[in-house]
Amino acid sequence: MRRRTFLRLTVAIVVAMSSSVGVAYAASLGLSSKQLHAWSQTLTKGTCNQTSATADDTYVQQASPTNTAGGTDTNLTIGGAAGSQDFAFISFDLSGCALPTTAGADTASLTVTVTTKSNDTISVFPVYSGWSSSTLNWNGLGGLTIGATATTTFVPSSPGAVTVPVTADVDAAIKAGTLWGWELRDTSGTAVSTIGSSENNAAGKRPSMTLSYEK
Amino acid sequence: MKRLTRILGIALTAALVSVGVASAASLGLTSGKLGAGSTTVSGCTSSSLTATRNVDNSGNVTQLNVLSVPQACAGEVIAATLENSSHTSLGSAVVIVGTCTGGCTVSLTGFGAVSAANVTAYALSLTE
Repeated sequence: MRRRTFLRLTVAIVVAMSSSVGVAYAASLGLSSKQLHAWSQTLTKGTCNQTSATADDTYVQQASPTNTAGGTDTNLTIGGAAGSQDFAFISFDLSGCALPTTAGADTASLTVTVTTKSNDTISVFPVYSGWSSSTLNWNGLGGLTIGATATTTFVPSSPGAVTVPVTADVDAAIKAGTLWGWELRDTSGTAVSTIGSSENNAAGKRPSMTLSYEK
Repeated sequence: MKRLTRILGIALTAALVSVGVASAASLGLTSGKLGAGSTTVSGCTSSSLTATRNVDNSGNVTQLNVLSVPQACAGEVIAATLENSSHTSLGSAVVIVGTCTGGCTVSLTGFGAVSAANVTAYALSLTE
């Protein structure tokens, strides 16, 4: 009787051991079916601030639809009155930054200087197609691709510098290879305001842009 | 009785040895499948992949784009971590590579509010 009990116990132990071997084998198979490859990409940080030296700007006049004089004016006019609207355009040539299309903007800010104030809201829309201050006029607006949503807004309620964030637009422009700039439009009223252009006699009143990037 | 005890003893010893071998084999296999660092990878891709990121107007990362992922990697898992200069994780995300023609751009989202200015490296992994 004692011998039979001992035999049963031993058989049970052997069966349990055999099961463990099976489980270990299955676990090993499951792990070996996955491979993990890992790598790291280090980013280089830098700045490439823009001044009037790389700026191009103008404004177009609904009341003078073929006029291109805005390209050499010392101030850019922005007006909202129906039938005599004025839209301003500003861009910067980023080619000197030598950024690849795999780079991106960490932060970017556009600074303009209000020279004639108003209490209207100025909306800043991204431009997605090429233009030149020497040729752009009101009639040429139909040939431009302009974003439907404003990137940012400001109210030129007092003379002086106004800085607005344009990070998303500049980031997208770096990846696209070209920055076509922004259209500044009065979206709330009928007043007229002006900002200094890149031809302004006072260097401090000209448009500028700060850019911190990674690549 | 003595003879039976001896036979059973041998059987038990054999079973224990088998378990030991299986355990060692398992350890050996699992430790041999992990590669790390800036390495050339094998399997569905033969090179380390490049990533770019998009930002919103506040400068926060909205998505990471892993470029030129080979079609052969469809169904595999890409994990990405945004790291600061101390190699501390600022946010991470995982995505399964979809099917596409030629090289795919695989986008990862959901990193949270991570300022791009603080990100100095991407740690990426591909599990296949």
